[in-house]
Amino acid sequence: MEDRIKSALKEAVGPDNFTDRLIDLISFAKDASQNKGRPEAAVWASTREQVAAVLRIANQEKFPVIARGAGTGLSGMAVPNRGGLVLDLSRMNKIVRISIEDRLAVVQPGVVYAQLERALAPYGFFFPPDPASGKVSTLGGNVATNAGGVKGAKYGVTKDYVLALEVVLADGRILHTGSSCMKSVSGYDLTRLFVGSEGTLGVVTEITLKINPKPGLAATAMATFDDVEDAGRAVSQIMHSGILPSVLEVIDRYTLMAINENTELNLPEVAAILLAEADGHTREETAFQLAKIIDIFKQNGASLVREAASQQEADALWTARKSAYAVMTRINNNLLVEDLSVPMSRVPEMLKAIADIQDKYNLKIPTVGHIGDGNLHPTISFDGTDPDQVTRVEEATSELFRKVMELGGTLTGEHGIGLDKARFMCLEHDEIALGVMRSVKRLFDPNNILNPGKMALEA
Amino acid sequence: MEAKYDFERKYRDQVLRCSSCGFCQAHCPIYGLTLRPALNARGKMLVLKEVMDGTIELNDELVETLFQCTTCANCSTNCPSGVEVPEIIKQVRQDMVNLGTCHPAFTAMADVLARHPNIYAEDDKPDFGRPLNRKAEYVYFIGCVGAYREEDSTEETLSLLDHLKLDYTLIDEVCCSGVLEDVGHKINPGLVNRNVELILATGARTVITGCPYCFRTFNNKREYEALAQAGVKVIHLTQLLQDYDFGVRTDKVVTYHDPCDLGRHSGIYEEPRRTIKKIAPNFVELSHNRAEAMCCGAGGGVRGAYPTNSIAMARRRLEEVEASGAEVLLTECNSCVHNLANAKLRKHKFQVFTTTQFINRLLNKEG
Repeated sequence: MEDRIKSALKEAVGPDNFTDRLIDLISFAKDASQNKGRPEAAVWASTREQVAAVLRIANQEKFPVIARGAGTGLSGMAVPNRGGLVLDLSRMNKIVRISIEDRLAVVQPGVVYAQLERALAPYGFFFPPDPASGKVSTLGGNVATNAGGVKGAKYGVTKDYVLALEVVLADGRILHTGSSCMKSVSGYDLTRLFVGSEGTLGVVTEITLKINPKPGLAATAMATFDDVEDAGRAVSQIMHSGILPSVLEVIDRYTLMAINENTELNLPEVAAILLAEADGHTREETAFQLAKIIDIFKQNGASLVREAASQQEADALWTARKSAYAVMTRINNNLLVEDLSVPMSRVPEMLKAIADIQDKYNLKIPTVGHIGDGNLHPTISFDGTDPDQVTRVEEATSELFRKVMELGGTLTGEHGIGLDKARFMCLEHDEIALGVMRSVKRLFDPNNILNPGKMALEA
Repeated sequence: MEAKYDFERKYRDQVLRCSSCGFCQAHCPIYGLTLRPALNARGKMLVLKEVMDGTIELNDELVETLFQCTTCANCSTNCPSGVEVPEIIKQVRQDMVNLGTCHPAFTAMADVLARHPNIYAEDDKPDFGRPLNRKAEYVYFIGCVGAYREEDSTEETLSLLDHLKLDYTLIDEVCCSGVLEDVGHKINPGLVNRNVELILATGARTVITGCPYCFRTFNNKREYEALAQAGVKVIHLTQLLQDYDFGVRTDKVVTYHDPCDLGRHSGIYEEPRRTIKKIAPNFVELSHNRAEAMCCGAGGGVRGAYPTNSIAMARRRLEEVEASGAEVLLTECNSCVHNLANAKLRKHKFQVFTTTQFINRLLNKEG
């Protein structure tokens, strides 16, 4: 990057908010995926005007701009693999307004999920799409990835809550989409277009979110299954029974084995564990729902069903699910957290396919997931310094996604395409769909400066 | 490829095991303050990975991140991958010092302790008017901060020990010098031997430290093994106090700040709370407490090397105290008291004390 461009950027954000120091560039080179790429410079913006000024410079000089929040993404979408400029939005972290009367919160993109959760708690409200990284991930990241979370099956994902956006376009113009109203069909739904667009169409500088009253009570149960088919049938039956569990999670045999090999938890090494939570406002309400869920577990051959009588017991039932990530990340030096969704009825087939793939490529691929919406996370712990293992992981991943397509699934339920899955986009989307996406990209970003190379948007 | 540095030989697997999840951003006090990813634990591990790969050199350019860590262990305690960041950082600092690259404030610390028996290069020893170097059941070891910067707090602690009729003696103590290993240097054997000799000469079976850092040094550093070998036990003051009933209480709202050295590094969370709850029934917890307590910003040499950020970290902690509605903030570390008191603004109406100091004030009806 030329010095005159650096000077212009310094002027745009203030000299203290510009960096081209080595330690900063290295720290911006990665997210939580395996991808890596050092930028040439980075800026911290604190106003939409600064964002606009930065994009105007980039658009004129035609260098890549990679918007970044907390850098907790799992698909490489915030990785500056072509150099350019990282636009760090974490300092735009004000909660602008909470309006309980209108059931909404207006936030800047750098607000951390947990920060909003804390601010809403005194009102008895919450914002349901809670990424596992919610203690650190930003709401701008929620919007850019259309993040989900464990409550997706009942409460939906980020796109179901974004009412309006303020977006700085590639040429520096400021676009307002949507409305603060709960209902609006006024014009094209530009808001939805930006949610999940991974920083490729514009930079979001303000987000208006619908918020929910938080049910005060929850009841939790766990069931073990000796056959994944049975677990899968139980899930389908629950999801069309009229009960919507607030959480329905699966932990597969290979995860249980990995946990047992690395901890003293001594979990039963069954084919699958299902964990269900039903929330509500009265004990009767949660008990009624949970009783129905437990009935369905039993009808479908659960070998053991356990219901939590207290919060402490509920926490104990969560132990296996909650310890899975820490166990997996400690097994080896590289961790690939995959993300896919299949129609609910195909989940058992998918779990079996994952087991076959791990055997074929001699890998360990434990899987957990939000089974209530068919969203699974096969997780591969491997030695990234061993080229043979790296190749096997790549080949296994390709086969995994071919299988996902065969089962009518989708490449990503909640992590996004980023760099990791750009190569698979043509498996899911035909030429017409990809062509339309690329036209949209060209319309908003004719110079291809916004997070270029992500989502397979270049023909 | 053969490892070039000791940190790599000792901690290569640990550095590689960092999965870059970034969860440490919720815990790192310097990241929380600056929102600059380079200063976060993940940023530090990414830098070290590049050093191990040979793409960058371990040089002055890296000082700002590798020397700007309070070693508070909030990241490692909460790290899903179990990466021992403070241990890695301490080793890297030693590698850097060996290469002749180091933050000037850290070099100054080592120079001071090469020539003076305390970290502040003070020539005049404080006189607390208590018996020195005599035979006694207990040695009370004050520590540099208590002796030279928080003398009032120490005076009140000693008054409380007098009130409890404890058979104790002070010694002509010198700096425990444990901090040198945190800032890239070696523990000072001359200072170690001086402390060990003075302690053993008293015949005491127990050393009570006022400073949680000295407590860690005496118990964990190989150089101080002679104490354990002679059957001398080292405890922190808070472990002693929990067994006493002081017969005083306050109606004020009181809260407690867990010092990193006592909490995360030593696992002592409940003892101080037992004591405080006896004297202050209106006890409230800070929103981050125990293993998640936020660092006061003073540790790891950061107060000397990066004073502006150090004070700003303390101020973030004080914001939590203000939000708790507490009228009194207690802690068990003079270094925390010192930094928190220095960071206090006029609008902060609460008072800051060590627990012992506060109990003594209640006994004297000053609380």
